[in-house]
Amino acid sequence: MASTPASTPASTPASTVEVRAVTVAFGGLRALRGVDLDIARGERLAIIGPNGAGKTTLFNVIAGDIAPTTGAVLIRGQDCTHLPSRHRPRLGLARTYQKARAFAGLTVRENIYLALAGHRGRHRALWRSSADRRMRDEAAEAAARVWLSGQLDAVAGELAHGQRRQLELAMAIATRPDVLLLDEPASGLSRGERERLVELLESLDEQLTLLLIEHDMDVAFRIAGRVVVLADGEQVMAGSPEQVRADPHVHRIYLGTEAPA
Amino acid sequence: MKLREHLTGETLALAGLVLVLALLPSLATAFFVNFVMTQTLILGLAAATIVFLAKYGGMTSLAQLLMFGIAGFMFGNAALDGGARGLNLGWHPWAAVGFAILVTTLVAFVLGAVASRTTGIYFLMLTLVYGVVGYFVFAQIVEISGPGGITSIQRPELLGPPVRLYYAGLLLSVLAYAGFRMLGRTAFGLALQGVRDDPVRMASLGFNVPLHRALAFTLAGFVAGLAGLLNVWWNGQIDPASISIGPTLILLIIAVIGGMSSLAGAWLGAFVYVLVLTYLRDLPLVDRIGITEARFNTVIGVIVLVIMVLSPEGLTGIVQRLRGTTRKELGGIRP
Repeated sequence: MASTPASTPASTPASTVEVRAVTVAFGGLRALRGVDLDIARGERLAIIGPNGAGKTTLFNVIAGDIAPTTGAVLIRGQDCTHLPSRHRPRLGLARTYQKARAFAGLTVRENIYLALAGHRGRHRALWRSSADRRMRDEAAEAAARVWLSGQLDAVAGELAHGQRRQLELAMAIATRPDVLLLDEPASGLSRGERERLVELLESLDEQLTLLLIEHDMDVAFRIAGRVVVLADGEQVMAGSPEQVRADPHVHRIYLGTEAPA
Repeated sequence: MKLREHLTGETLALAGLVLVLALLPSLATAFFVNFVMTQTLILGLAAATIVFLAKYGGMTSLAQLLMFGIAGFMFGNAALDGGARGLNLGWHPWAAVGFAILVTTLVAFVLGAVASRTTGIYFLMLTLVYGVVGYFVFAQIVEISGPGGITSIQRPELLGPPVRLYYAGLLLSVLAYAGFRMLGRTAFGLALQGVRDDPVRMASLGFNVPLHRALAFTLAGFVAGLAGLLNVWWNGQIDPASISIGPTLILLIIAVIGGMSSLAGAWLGAFVYVLVLTYLRDLPLVDRIGITEARFNTVIGVIVLVIMVLSPEGLTGIVQRLRGTTRKELGGIRP
């Protein structure tokens, strides 16, 4: 498989992620209807919209968990429309899921370790002990960034909800991705945890491209430089947080009907 | 620190058990050692491969007895010379061992690669199909299974005396148990557990999910093949009926009796099974209440039923619960 190495390609394409006229149909239901999206390197983009707008479907298409019915997805200039999801981490892609999906039977350290091992396609490391020093250090570092240092040897299934979300984040950032997809990272978090989440997201590398699905408008508008509004599988509008906040149409379909939690 | 991590009560108890088993030939009758215990170790080793796949990979396989049988048939074909049964290749016994293990492992890899895209009930059904098709292959191609089985199979000279076969079973069982446990801590073992918990997540982390499943299945096939070799040496013969659907289910039942989430339980389950198989007829009055050898499977079924009602985690679950209760009564805290 001639996949582009994780380093910067010779000719940097204008967009890190390009979504071109993507349609996804589940039987009769059209979850996405011709969505176009250009995301520049280092951009912070929030995707908002009511439930069922197609936000997570769009993420799944970009991450490769589902293939679009029509349209194309390009990551760093490379057509990835039909590239299986397992090849995408090597393009520098990492994602979290709406529902925390850490491996319940494994410890925090082991979870992060898996993220590291999978991302690098380190098949030579397969037989090595999980106690490998460098991986241990990197796992500890990632855990420290999400304030989970004290829980390294805790079993993921026994963590509190907020901690499990932190672990999801640690698994995503441990691999030092170029493109990070976060699906509702603030859901279910306490006010204090949300503050820390924003702090963490603001501390991420400037070169990192961040895509964020978020229902918490406060978090979304503080992080994002650009906001895209989806409704019924279509892009309704896009603009700066201020523009979106002021748009009466958006208010009507989204902000007005569903007050931020 | 590292040493202390490994020196848990459970490990010490198992080490003690292995010591007792190693001394067993001078403590127990030859019948108990060479018949009951050798058979326990062989069946336990085979059942442990079912537990390994279920516990670490989330795959319940009904094809493990087929691997067991393939190794036995291949050894019989390769090692025997003269006579009318099997291929009679007449190879050196250890060459035959290598051949049997190689074929078994290759078959396991191919079957594992095909099955690796299925999970849950579909994986179970597919491996059941493997078992049934495998049975018919050996039942109908008499060139490789001999009409009515391959008989008069001799074991390598090294394992001549029956007690040595017992020790071989003990050694392989200890190696397999420790090996599976250690594998669980390697990156491969972690990845396998990740695949068990959430294959979609594993793929998005960059793992080749089917490859991990196929490799685990191959390893389990290899170990089941070792058990199959011990079995054919212990029995001196093998016939297609010994890998038919009945025995296939018995091996799964052994794993269930012990507890599908406990490797050690595989041997415990095998021990219970062999005990019932061997001593049921000696129990006083059992024939009066209508339990004869012909109803052996009914008795096993009732035992499985009782265990499943008491503890879905098998005998190991019952043991753990008893230990938990004692600890609570002693005011101890679970680690």
